[in-house]
Amino acid sequence: MDTTPRGAGGAEAVPPAPARRFGLGRVVGGFLVWREASVILVAVLLVLYFELTNGNFLSSDNIVTVSQFVAAPAIIACGEIMLLICKEIDLSAGQTFALAPFLVYFGAKFGLPVIPAIVVALLICAAIGLSIGLITVLLGVPSFVTTLGTYFLITGITLTISRGFPATPPGGGILTGIMGAYGYSEIIWALLIVALMHIVLRHTRWGLHTSAVGGNEVAAAEAGIDVRRIKVGNFILTAMLAGFTGIIEAYRVGSNDPLAGGSTIMFLGVASGVIGGTALTGGSGTIIGGFIGAVVLGVLQDGFTLQGINAFLFDGIIGAAILIAMIANIRLARWQRGVAR
Amino acid sequence: MSAPAESAGGIEAIRAENIVKRFGSILALNGVSIHVNRGEILGILGDNGAGKSTLIKILTGFHQPDGGRLFVDGEEVALASVDHARSLGIECVYQDLALINTLSVYHNMFLNRELSRPPFGLLDHREMRKRAAAALDDIGVGVPSVEAEVARLSGGQRQAIAVARAVYSNARILLLDEPLAAMGAREAGLIIDLVERLRSRGDIAIIMIAHNYAQTLDICDRVVLVQHGEITFESHSAETTVEELLEIVRREYRAARRA
Repeated sequence: MDTTPRGAGGAEAVPPAPARRFGLGRVVGGFLVWREASVILVAVLLVLYFELTNGNFLSSDNIVTVSQFVAAPAIIACGEIMLLICKEIDLSAGQTFALAPFLVYFGAKFGLPVIPAIVVALLICAAIGLSIGLITVLLGVPSFVTTLGTYFLITGITLTISRGFPATPPGGGILTGIMGAYGYSEIIWALLIVALMHIVLRHTRWGLHTSAVGGNEVAAAEAGIDVRRIKVGNFILTAMLAGFTGIIEAYRVGSNDPLAGGSTIMFLGVASGVIGGTALTGGSGTIIGGFIGAVVLGVLQDGFTLQGINAFLFDGIIGAAILIAMIANIRLARWQRGVAR
Repeated sequence: MSAPAESAGGIEAIRAENIVKRFGSILALNGVSIHVNRGEILGILGDNGAGKSTLIKILTGFHQPDGGRLFVDGEEVALASVDHARSLGIECVYQDLALINTLSVYHNMFLNRELSRPPFGLLDHREMRKRAAAALDDIGVGVPSVEAEVARLSGGQRQAIAVARAVYSNARILLLDEPLAAMGAREAGLIIDLVERLRSRGDIAIIMIAHNYAQTLDICDRVVLVQHGEITFESHSAETTVEELLEIVRREYRAARRA
């Protein structure tokens, strides 16, 4: 690898700064040019709205509740964002989510201590991701179709091994607390994973190559990037994150539910990513944006619950709110691009 | 064994002798010979399907020839793969396939050759930005910012960055596939300037596939005309004219219509 620049000239060359605005406009502009700014703005406005109409929204009890709405989609979003960036998707992440706590349960039942049982469960999730990845890249089946298959397949496995009955996650005491039962443990896991995945996406070769593969697969391969390896790796990552989320969610709730997660949790994860600014067309995305997208969704769910809106209308209102939030976000992002030019 | 020959430009960089390539029953190349020296630009002209792309793909190691010999720096080589050709300093810049539009200029420049820093091996964005800016500056490619997304640049700027990347990665034999296609006059001028600056360095041999006869004669030191898998005409640019080239192609066209 040649990393020595030839020629002395221009070593100090600093790229010219984008056109500056003045005064307040400049400060606002400076903030809004930041990639995740529009979704942060949407989140802040929603929090303000619910706090002003409720007065109770920012109470410490409610913040715990919101954090629990946010955590699971936020972690699943990390995986789905990596997949979306390299132009893939895992529709069965919610099924892996439901299966994983049962894997822990049966591991413990067969005599494994809890932590090794969790590790084994995550390895099995990795094997699921590996299978999805290999079917997708080796047989050329679009991942939309592959994971539609595994969506039903994994549900079948979960229902078979659980016989359709819930179970209590093994462990107890501090372990159960750390894994999810303490009020804030789930969101702390989510923040740790988000921070880690942000570094992976922005500051490692893996992240850059994932963006490259989604941006232009042919050019990435031309540059010597192993496109299949990147894709399979991200399927494994997504399945493991989904499984881990299922496990901590089971510890928080105190019960394994064979019908937990499913398409709802998967779509919340994907929606978080998309609200946060990850393009469905691949090539670019942001983990931080995805997290804030999950916050937006969590705030909406919790806020409307506090307002006590009609239970039948609930999903409809959430859906409309997601649409409005997304439209606001897209308009802002378009405007941002105009400013940054 | 053909020894490196001193001629126009400098030392011979690459030579192909009697290259034959078949795809099933189709004879794509029927004994094609070309050579380029360092500090020289060879233009390859010809219709679609004449065999230009096949020839380029043999020189980049993508296809293996069924007959003939290849010499790089006077040494006979059998190019096994694109990576092998690249390790010998042969790099091809394709018009639209080269860059990743969603990534920044400097990420494109360093794609799969990223710089990282200890202890965790995280990407060294600052150093890559600095070196990318220096490298672009060195060969006189102007972009608004190395942090700009490539999608926001003009066609000419994108092409220039692709060329700069190849040169920066130590390409000594540069193959340009239709570098001026679909480009306005100003954009084309940018690339022509860049190619001429690279020639004047004297250490790079350039092969350019092109369609536009006037531009090609203007830029290249020598031109060859490929027709139905053979070289039917070869000349120094100064010793031929657009009219002469057109007349050859016209003859070919008439012959084809009679057949």
